[in-house]
Amino acid sequence: MKMVRKALIAVGLAGIVAAILRLRGTGGTPPRDGGWRELSGPELS
Amino acid sequence: MRVAVLGVGAVGARLARQLVSTEQVDEVVLRDPNRARLDDVLRSLGDGVVSDHHDLLDPVDADVVVLAGDAGTHDVAAARFLRANQHVVSVSDDLGDVRALLDLDSEARERGCAVVVGAGFAPGLTCVLAAHGARRFDAVDEIHVAKVGTGGPACARQHHRALGRMALDWREGGWVQRPPMSGRELCWFPDPIGAQDCYRAALPDALLLVGAFPGVRRVTSRVAATRRDRLTARLPMLWPTHPEGGPGAVRVEVRGRRGRSRDVVVFGAMDRPAVAAGAVAAVGAVWAAEGRLLRPGAAGLAELVEPTPFLAELSRRGVRAAIFEGDALSGSAPRP
Repeated sequence: MKMVRKALIAVGLAGIVAAILRLRGTGGTPPRDGGWRELSGPELS
Repeated sequence: MRVAVLGVGAVGARLARQLVSTEQVDEVVLRDPNRARLDDVLRSLGDGVVSDHHDLLDPVDADVVVLAGDAGTHDVAAARFLRANQHVVSVSDDLGDVRALLDLDSEARERGCAVVVGAGFAPGLTCVLAAHGARRFDAVDEIHVAKVGTGGPACARQHHRALGRMALDWREGGWVQRPPMSGRELCWFPDPIGAQDCYRAALPDALLLVGAFPGVRRVTSRVAATRRDRLTARLPMLWPTHPEGGPGAVRVEVRGRRGRSRDVVVFGAMDRPAVAAGAVAAVGAVWAAEGRLLRPGAAGLAELVEPTPFLAELSRRGVRAAIFEGDALSGSAPRP
């Protein structure tokens, strides 16, 4: 029981520290379609 | 044409190599306070290159002087060579350097010389991409720049400094200072770099782009940073810098109006930052010496070059720009 309580406290503290430092990414939305294409030919003339 | 390169770190060495392989360049003069490094670079380049063991700021016989040394010192050097009526190209991405170099504009115009400011990967290639994107619009509303990666040790140190200093955004016609490491955004760079969390930092892109696009409402710049960067940004560098970073990338999003419609275009490029910066600075130096810049004075590449032929020349040298085709945005709402 004591070990479980210690583990919960440790996890809680780590969560608080991570929240303060905002270490976890808030993410973003990946492109829904499409991709990168190199410029070439008439686009560079 | 004779070109002097002051500083032969990762960018300076690549720049010298680009110049040596340029037909119009007759001789490249190299200077660096580190004699051993200077001799190594000199040996690796072969004919058409000479070293000169003078101090960096001593007068040099050259049509163009390229400042490729540590950031934070370019303003003094540029002023000195400008007063000798020489064109100057700076690769510095330090906010203080860029601000001081732009202040040389009126003197450079009077002398009929060019001071090409921020002629590297970012700023530099990013400015050219922004100008290229702006051609698709009647009016540009917003420009958002992001970059990932560093060149050599000097670039890594500058990256670390930038992450610990106040950022500068252009918002609705005024400058706004923002805390460093704020404004996290997941940016999608050309493959294989892909998605990177990017943050505000002391980056000079906005200073260069606002002058080039009168009427632009918002200009922001961000840099990719790791969790370790976030934790240590305000501390001295805790470990030695790498000789050269891995592949990097830039991404430039331009929003504007065309007729009655609003649209967005996203350009990018992926390369080793020092290699791309060397190519951009080399083309900038050659164009300055040939009188191909759009005007004399101190400004970024977005103001000084025709973007399409500049990108074509970079492509010929192996630095290729890309466009994002498809639904590049997470939404159509204005960006934070």
